[in-house]
Amino acid sequence: MTTSPLDSLRAQFPLLQANPELVYLDNAATTQKPLAMLDAERRFYETMNANVHRGGHRLGHAATEAYEAARITVARFINAASAGEIVFTRGATEAINLVAYSWGGSTLKPGDEILLSTLEHHANIVPWQLIAQTAGAVIRAIPLLDDGQIDMAAYQALLSPRTRLVGISQMSNALGVCPPLAQIIPAAHAVGASVLVDGAQAIAHQEIDVQALGADFYVFSGHKVFGPTGIGVLWARADILEQMPPWQGGGEMIERVSFAGTTFAPAPRRFEAGTPAFAQTIALAAALDWLRGQDRPAIAVHESALYRQLAAGIDQINGVRILGTPTGKGPIASLVFSHAHPYDVAQFLDERDIAVRVGNHCAGPLMQSLGLNNGTLRISIAAYNTAAQIDLLLSTLNETLELLA
Amino acid sequence: MSDWPELPAALALSALTERLQAAQGWENKNRLLVQLAREQPAMPTELKVDENRVSGCEAHVWLLTRWHEGRLQMWADSDSRIVKGLLALVWAAYQGLSREEIANQDFGALLQELGLQRFLSSSRASGLNAMVQVIRNA
Repeated sequence: MTTSPLDSLRAQFPLLQANPELVYLDNAATTQKPLAMLDAERRFYETMNANVHRGGHRLGHAATEAYEAARITVARFINAASAGEIVFTRGATEAINLVAYSWGGSTLKPGDEILLSTLEHHANIVPWQLIAQTAGAVIRAIPLLDDGQIDMAAYQALLSPRTRLVGISQMSNALGVCPPLAQIIPAAHAVGASVLVDGAQAIAHQEIDVQALGADFYVFSGHKVFGPTGIGVLWARADILEQMPPWQGGGEMIERVSFAGTTFAPAPRRFEAGTPAFAQTIALAAALDWLRGQDRPAIAVHESALYRQLAAGIDQINGVRILGTPTGKGPIASLVFSHAHPYDVAQFLDERDIAVRVGNHCAGPLMQSLGLNNGTLRISIAAYNTAAQIDLLLSTLNETLELLA
Repeated sequence: MSDWPELPAALALSALTERLQAAQGWENKNRLLVQLAREQPAMPTELKVDENRVSGCEAHVWLLTRWHEGRLQMWADSDSRIVKGLLALVWAAYQGLSREEIANQDFGALLQELGLQRFLSSSRASGLNAMVQVIRNA
């Protein structure tokens, strides 16, 4: 008996094995976890649990070494120039907050401008609003074309010597649209602005090379790339990171403390105050190692085949359409219905154990720009989804829309 | 006071209880909720304004309450059929009750009894708790 590559991939996910009927299509919210990651976290606690960068004892040294090895693993995964460019955070949200407070707080002046695309998740909007308020800087929204793509002419027109930062998603969590970063980043640099790329959605689907990308900051969350919750990554170019002041105070981020004054540790430790989520960090490294060990080009082909199957099927159903451009996007589809509320549709899908997400997907400005009051129903595909699952989704959707008509 | 709809007999609490208990399984319950939504009069658009909206629901819910001879009258609508179906239950459970009776009405227990407890845990979406709070504070 032969096992297909997809079957053997699925076999590595205990939750999927325990729920063979489950059609999990909410991967943009969080991915399921492979055994390799789960084992790594458990093994850490069972064999080397001790706080990092502290105790002068055998376990403490082992834990510290594993923690720093995880930093190297992450650096390799996104092709950072060195492990020193990797800061561990609680997630992409905290990473953006770190950049806003530390970098933004120390560089933004009254009248400076921050350009954010209308596609952005609230996490790449609100931290900038908070720091802009303090610094007297101005937020400007980069508009979209009707198909959800960035309006590049409008973007070019917004760029000016006042632009200090461009915040842009690599893949929209709500629409799946992938902005043309290869044009967006050099254009920002040409006017002297820095660029923060939110990689939260892209990280599980594309191979990331931060040096080739050429941005200044890159962030992602562990739990959206088969890793555990509570751990994320900020990558910043070393020369930028070195200039950034600390943003939280505590243990391990200092060189020396006295009440007369404190000197801070060099980056990246300067940004990791307090006991870090070391077990999760090590588990994240295991998840990334696991993903590197998969046939990633084959996974990308599989995911886009599932997306095309989904899009072709949706085309055949009355009363539903996919928002945004049909091309140049990740395996995410946001559906809107002519006669049904997304919440009602999701309830019927849930009966067949088909898990999707409804709402505004933490992208309020995007939903407003599209004129959507009820949000959308989002289907987000991962490597372990199957063609049979997409078929089941489509037939259930068809039945549900007839029932709600 | 006659411009607000009367609770139809098919939506009285006893009739609703019977219908919901007869609907076995989630599929049938959801289908019935969609049916219940169809049996309720629609609220005119001019009443579907922000000040009548219940916050805390993912689907839009508009809820009007007033007192008539010490008894609660209500009118609710939603753009979600399933939520509107649940609103029939809220209507049936609270229409015509006194303040004291409202304070003693255990809506959670009623949902449990009708096999709809799932909608308690997904309260963010259906906002049932928020609606009951509005009624209790009416």
